Amino acid sequence: MSTVIETVGLSRHYGSGDTLVKALDAVDLRIEAGEFTAIVGPSGSGKSTLLQLIGGLDHPSEGEVHLAGQPISSYSGRQLSDFRRDHIGFIFQAYNLIPVLSAAENCEYIMLLQGIKADERQRRVATMLQQVGLAGREDRRPSQLSGGQQQRVAVARAMVSQPDIILADEPTANLDSQTGMDLLDMMVELNQRDGMTFVFSTHDPKIMERARRLVYLRDGVVEREERRD
Amino acid sequence: MTWHLALRNLARNRRRTFLTAMIISLSLAALVLTDGVISAMADTMVRSATRLYGGDAQIHQRDYLAARDESFTFGEVAALLDQLDQSEWVEAATPRALAFGMVSSSASNRAVQVMGIDPSREARVSKLANVVVEGDYLDAGGSETQLLIGWRLAQLLEAELGDRIVLSVHNQIDETAEQQLFRVSGIFRFNARELDENAAFILLPRAQQMLGIGQQIHELALNLRQASLAGQADLPLFAQLSNADRIAEGWPQLMPQLDGMLQMTRYSTVIVGVILFVLAALGVINGLFMSIYERVWEFGVLLAIGTRRRVLFGLILAEGLLLGVGAIVIGLVVGVLVTVLVAQIGIDYGGMEVAGVALNEVIRPQLNLSQLIILPIWVLALTLLACLYPAAHAARIVPARALHKSL
Ligand SMILES: Nc1ncnc2c1ncn2[C@@H]1O[C@H](COP(=O)(O)OP(=O)(O)OP(=O)(O)O)[C@@H](O)[C@H]1O
Ligand SMILES: [Mg+2]
Repeated sequence: MSTVIETVGLSRHYGSGDTLVKALDAVDLRIEAGEFTAIVGPSGSGKSTLLQLIGGLDHPSEGEVHLAGQPISSYSGRQLSDFRRDHIGFIFQAYNLIPVLSAAENCEYIMLLQGIKADERQRRVATMLQQVGLAGREDRRPSQLSGGQQQRVAVARAMVSQPDIILADEPTANLDSQTGMDLLDMMVELNQRDGMTFVFSTHDPKIMERARRLVYLRDGVVEREERRD
Repeated sequence: MTWHLALRNLARNRRRTFLTAMIISLSLAALVLTDGVISAMADTMVRSATRLYGGDAQIHQRDYLAARDESFTFGEVAALLDQLDQSEWVEAATPRALAFGMVSSSASNRAVQVMGIDPSREARVSKLANVVVEGDYLDAGGSETQLLIGWRLAQLLEAELGDRIVLSVHNQIDETAEQQLFRVSGIFRFNARELDENAAFILLPRAQQMLGIGQQIHELALNLRQASLAGQADLPLFAQLSNADRIAEGWPQLMPQLDGMLQMTRYSTVIVGVILFVLAALGVINGLFMSIYERVWEFGVLLAIGTRRRVLFGLILAEGLLLGVGAIVIGLVVGVLVTVLVAQIGIDYGGMEVAGVALNEVIRPQLNLSQLIILPIWVLALTLLACLYPAAHAARIVPARALHKSL
């Protein structure tokens, strides 16, 4: 298996002196291709911070993130922007979508940024929306979709750009538990069938059940890891 | 995609978009109207100053205007008139003898400006022949005692048509007061106080004889075929007509105070424009900022999934551009409609005098190409300028902070 992302002594501190908060403290983490990993931990443990740093949305105070062996801290703002576009798929807790664009356009947007040709875009959008169970709803605006359906579009959007890894920060937090489980089952399916690497955070025990690897965070430190197969 | 997104984003909060656009539209409309009124007013003032009586240009003995001394006359008038009649530039020209004098009726007396004129030539240069309200215009073949005075002067003298008036001027030869008897043959009304109250017209030969200046005159007024040329101080015609003794000048030189006044009115358009634009720009900035603040999260997502900052910057500019173009179209339509409407009604200043010139026409705001092209270009440029600030703000959003709620 090849390593997609590796963090070395990754730290993120906020404030200084008495008010210093070590949101993340010297985290060494290696994510292999095809893994389905859950970052779990109580609120404030640093889950979001970790995902932001891995995804190049924030700069570490110390340490480094390597993408396929390349350190991303050397990237300029624009390189980082392109890095996110081409290598990372993001799914947030809610409001992932651009409200004025339809489900299909939301997926198409990122491929436009990538400069993918129209027919290829159309093909990928159709397949992906079908795979996430939204065939026939391509032209709906986010406001015309349920919360679960919106998250499915977000998954589809993250998938169509064919990133190396999809980072999902509490993707089910705004959904009822059944809808959340369905979304996660769909992600598992995409992981198994397409081999897409997923890292998601959660503090819902039922959701973490689905992961094959669990990384327990507490106070910015990896407390322990667990693998199930 | 950017245009597509921009358009849909504008459609998102239609009321705000409409209100922001209206600020731009109404500013433009107001400016079109202001510019129309001011240029119409300037034209009226120039027309009133030139075509009413003064003429587009005048020829005088070089020192006459500075000294107003009646001995500063110039000759070769017949040859000069011939030359002018043949000039392709000149529409009409008329000679005048001018003198300070005194008119006395049985009731009163007044100091006046006596003007000796050639009736048929004068009628082609000034409006004098058209503004006679009682009696007749002067007749070159008629009685030598014809006197044409303004209605105000007639009132002051308590004089009526046919009344005897004694007119006295200073004779240049024997240096004595020359008195002659005239009869009021006509009363005019220019609706310009200076002329209506202080001018008395008699026949040119009669004036020359009373003043003892022979065939010489003080002033030769002329209208150009293309009135606007009179504004050019270096017009070749003026040089041709001038010599060591006499000088030809257009109205801006003859009436520097009016010229200065007109420059000021041009500035006033600019000032009104600047004020309106600053307000409009603030409105645009405010509108865009409100819409950006509402979309911080969304911009965070766009940046997170790999949108370059430049694209975001371009998106806000595109929104501003679309808003500006739409607003300008509306503004032009409103501006033109209002201007046409006001032009139809007309603005009547009732002969109010500005800088010594009577606004004695109903002002009808004008529409010209520059208003409809240059003003919108300015408005658009300034709208885009106003967008730079919010656009830069949007492009500087830090995704990690914008998305803090979730990630
Ligand atoms: N911008 C910031 N400024 C200061 N402190 C911050 C900032 N962002 C995060 N923190 C702190 O860093 C720590 C980790 O925050 P983080 O959001 O990563 O936790 P989390 O595990 O995602 O929590 P949750 O489950 O509530 O989302 C917290 O103590 C938080 O208060
Ligand atoms: Mg979090």
